Amino acid sequence: MLEALQAMSSVILDPFLLLLIFATTIIGVIIGVLPGIGATTGAALLLPFTLTMTPVHAITVLATIYVSATFAGSITAILINTPGTSAAAATTFDNFPLAQRGEAGRALGVAVVSSTVGGIFSVIVLCIAAPMLARVAYHFRPPEYFALTLFGLSMLASISYGGAIKNLIGGVFGVWVATIGAEPTTGIERFMFGNYDLYEGLSFVPVFIGLFAMSELLVQSKKANQIASAITMKAVKLPTIEDYKKIWKTIVRSCGIGTFIGILPAEGATVASMIGYAEARRWSKNKEEFGKGSIEGIAGAESANNAATGGAMVPTMVLGIPGSGTTAIILVGLMVHGLRPGPYLFTEQVDKVYQIFGAMILANVMFLVMGLYAAKLFARISLVPISILWPIVFAFAVVGSYSLSSALMDVWIVLIFGTIGFFARRHGFAVAPIAVGFILGEMVETNLQNSLKMFEGQWWMILTQPLAALFLVLAVLGLCGPMIFGMLTRRK
Amino acid sequence: MKTSDWIVPGVITVFSCVVIYLSLQLDLSPPMIVGHSMQPRAFPIFLMVINLILIGLLTYQFYKNPPASIPLEPFHTWGTIILLIVFYGLTVAADFFLAIAVVMFLMCILWGEKRIPVALSTALVTPFLIFVLFDQVLMIRFPRGIILDWYYG
Repeated sequence: MLEALQAMSSVILDPFLLLLIFATTIIGVIIGVLPGIGATTGAALLLPFTLTMTPVHAITVLATIYVSATFAGSITAILINTPGTSAAAATTFDNFPLAQRGEAGRALGVAVVSSTVGGIFSVIVLCIAAPMLARVAYHFRPPEYFALTLFGLSMLASISYGGAIKNLIGGVFGVWVATIGAEPTTGIERFMFGNYDLYEGLSFVPVFIGLFAMSELLVQSKKANQIASAITMKAVKLPTIEDYKKIWKTIVRSCGIGTFIGILPAEGATVASMIGYAEARRWSKNKEEFGKGSIEGIAGAESANNAATGGAMVPTMVLGIPGSGTTAIILVGLMVHGLRPGPYLFTEQVDKVYQIFGAMILANVMFLVMGLYAAKLFARISLVPISILWPIVFAFAVVGSYSLSSALMDVWIVLIFGTIGFFARRHGFAVAPIAVGFILGEMVETNLQNSLKMFEGQWWMILTQPLAALFLVLAVLGLCGPMIFGMLTRRK
Repeated sequence: MKTSDWIVPGVITVFSCVVIYLSLQLDLSPPMIVGHSMQPRAFPIFLMVINLILIGLLTYQFYKNPPASIPLEPFHTWGTIILLIVFYGLTVAADFFLAIAVVMFLMCILWGEKRIPVALSTALVTPFLIFVLFDQVLMIRFPRGIILDWYYG
């Protein structure tokens, strides 16, 4: 414990790291306020830039982008009624009405304080829960990992966007994409069509830049010529004592909800904020204020979406299963930098892990300061015309993807997956399940193969392993849960 | 179900069948190497069978609750897709950074930027700054082309 605290506090003593967190928080807030570019797209675009950094600095950059961009989405949600990120969608319900009443500063004050509390709370939970989970995961063998990855994939069914079946189809497609290239144990070439650039399979980064950044570019093209108008705001006000009395219970509740939702594989800040908002309304004495400018609604949504960030890091770092689209990119960052996600990370590289956690806490504090003192400036950035913004994103996407292995093939992969992602989204398929499936694909196949070897081809023996059986039961519940829940609510 | 509702299930079904066919063409690995595990072709086939089951469920869902019709994308979207193809052609035929600059300029105009000097300066300054950053700071060597041949010598 003392070692962990030492490692976390060492962040403050590293001036370069401090400067990096400060600069990245600014970039993260800018990414969050720019329309369409959320934490996931931002992290995907910045990933190539982290390659020359040390592992701790690189992951700190990505984690800081994650927490600051998730918060910053609320700035535009308040001032131009356009959530900068999908996680801030629930914030618009009450923020904009409050802003229209001339209380934009108060709305932003409540949002920034709630986000900071949610973010710090979830990192504390991460510090406590991750090593505990790592101790359990330390004993996992291939059958347990196979069942766990199936559980992770089954959770795709409950992602809010798209619908269960479409998300599962996306997940299966992602797993198939992971089979492209030479099969690891036999070396047999699969779906390469004679192209030896694909021998080691598709790289994660270009696929992710394509799925998130390039497909978003095509989605944003529908909004070309759209002009946003901003609400004027004098200054950001901290909540008053009366406000705190009104919202503290909501913040505590949403911190718990957000962290729990974040920990569930494949769930993320968007789901957390929606549930945080709904629960805030359910427990409120002033239900009629919701949707008309309730500060409890703002606190409920904002503390939950930022609490989900730390929660989502738990399965990512301990089990190698991403908790959201952005943590999928952080997972890729860990792998690119030689930090193998999993329980061994907590025994072999524990100091690095706690430095990353310390940096996340610091990033939460920094965006509090920026939210309070520079929100007006950041809100202006959100009014950059998309006809200028997205061509710049295009340039960064193609150059960034090329730079990873100096191969034009990676650029073509960005274009192909951008187009696939766009058409998938056009027909109601989310791209996050494809990304999660792609990350988990190799894990599923390798652990299934190893399990079969362990049990001499008797696959049903997987079911005799208690933990594996538990994960498979959870996977079945994950698949059938939304259907059963839907039937029950319809009956009511 | 409308005819257009069959497009998504149809495309995914054809895709799944093609993958199964291609998987069946894969070489078999000797039993000594595979042991008690599975052949490399087995896993993709298994995935596509799951996909076909899911497509069956999706089609049933569409039959019960027909999806809302999707409006055709505006000209900007199709134009941007065409620009991506133009980018591919220009990169292969001319130069990577020239392709970026041309596509950026055309994208600015296509997306409604009426100020030509602004679009032009965005298309010229951004690739230049990105090139300097990647070439000088990150030490990345870019593919040769009309412009980079002149730069690299």
